[in-house]
Amino acid sequence: MTGVIPILRMGDVLLTTVHVELRDAVAEAFQSDVLLALEKRRARGLIIDISGLDMVDTYVARILAETGRMAMLMGTKTVLVGMRPEIAATLVRMGYEMRGVHTALDLDEGLELLQKLPAG
Amino acid sequence: MTYRRYMATLKIDDAELRSRRAFCELTDEDLALLRSLRPFAEKHTSEFVDKFYELLLSHEHTRKFFPDAGTIARVKKTQREYFLGLFDGRCDMNYVEDRLRVGTTHERIGLAPTWYLGAYRKYLDLLHTGLFAELPVKEASAAFSALERIVFFDVTLAIDTYIAANRETIGRHQAALRELSTPVIRVHDRILLLPLVGAIDSVRAQQIMDTVLLRIAEEKAKCIIIDIAGVPVVDTKVADSLVKTTAAVRLLGAQTILTGISAQVARTIVQLGVDISTMHTLARLQEGIELALDLVGKKIEEKRSASARGDAG
Repeated sequence: MTGVIPILRMGDVLLTTVHVELRDAVAEAFQSDVLLALEKRRARGLIIDISGLDMVDTYVARILAETGRMAMLMGTKTVLVGMRPEIAATLVRMGYEMRGVHTALDLDEGLELLQKLPAG
Repeated sequence: MTYRRYMATLKIDDAELRSRRAFCELTDEDLALLRSLRPFAEKHTSEFVDKFYELLLSHEHTRKFFPDAGTIARVKKTQREYFLGLFDGRCDMNYVEDRLRVGTTHERIGLAPTWYLGAYRKYLDLLHTGLFAELPVKEASAAFSALERIVFFDVTLAIDTYIAANRETIGRHQAALRELSTPVIRVHDRILLLPLVGAIDSVRAQQIMDTVLLRIAEEKAKCIIIDIAGVPVVDTKVADSLVKTTAAVRLLGAQTILTGISAQVARTIVQLGVDISTMHTLARLQEGIELALDLVGKKIEEKRSASARGDAG
């Protein structure tokens, strides 16, 4: 692990909390950390908690959505949790709907959703 | 002193004051000249103010602002002070602040600029007559020019403040209307309902999205039912805003159910080619509530006794 964003493993679920702005090096390290963790040991789901982020621009949104799609290729479902209302409004107005990533209100909901989604 | 904050709204600082003065060509010499006319002003104040109110009271639009003798006596006193203020020979921030009160007061009592400007003309008339009757033509003419400058300086401030205050009033009304236009109701645990009534323009569409998202986060809602039975026209813009709201709701981790879709609306949406496949859509609110309950893992059941009776019969 090289990045500043810690990635925790809870059973077959990877859990990360993004609490710093995902900029260039940080974003890249985050993405590769997640993928390397998945490569090392398969996980059923990946939960990215962004409730600590005040601002998400298209760059960050793209990094998050891409990470989700990459994880999907490795057989892991991604759930984005804790997005703030104003961020959701801004992203949608900019035409960014983050298709292909699951979403949930908070961490608990995210874990619950992972249980419900069909494995694969 | 509510009118004070209009100093900030109108961005009046020393530089702005200088620029406004320069534009009205109100010089220090003018102010000195006005100060020298103070005895003339003091002699005529009462007479001018009385004549000024004669005009106001003789006209039905302006008369209604002065319902009784007490009010008239009070405003006449204020007016005398105002009138003499023109001859103080000062034009600083305090003077400007004092002038802002005129505009805000007019806005508050609903006195339109029509009457304010029309009435001001009366003062200029009276001053013109008075000055030319008492002073040699050259001096009278110079004095009147100086007066014109400070009067227009005053009037622009009053009108600017009137407009700013008016804008604020409109803003307040719009905010109140907006709040009334998006009543998000909690119908059950984690289920919200937004009944939409009336036309949806782009401002309202934005308001709808913001309110819906905020309430979902606050209530930790699992789904929101938007009932559009009361929306008269659903065009591409409205449909598009609903699609956007649905997408944003999904980003929060909740779902949107759109109900109240009439035959006409269904036809329009399909004919317009709007893709609303991302939404759950239903014809009636009742079905929407049933679906919402299903999404949170609940359902409405008939009472056992009732079904037992049904079985027996």
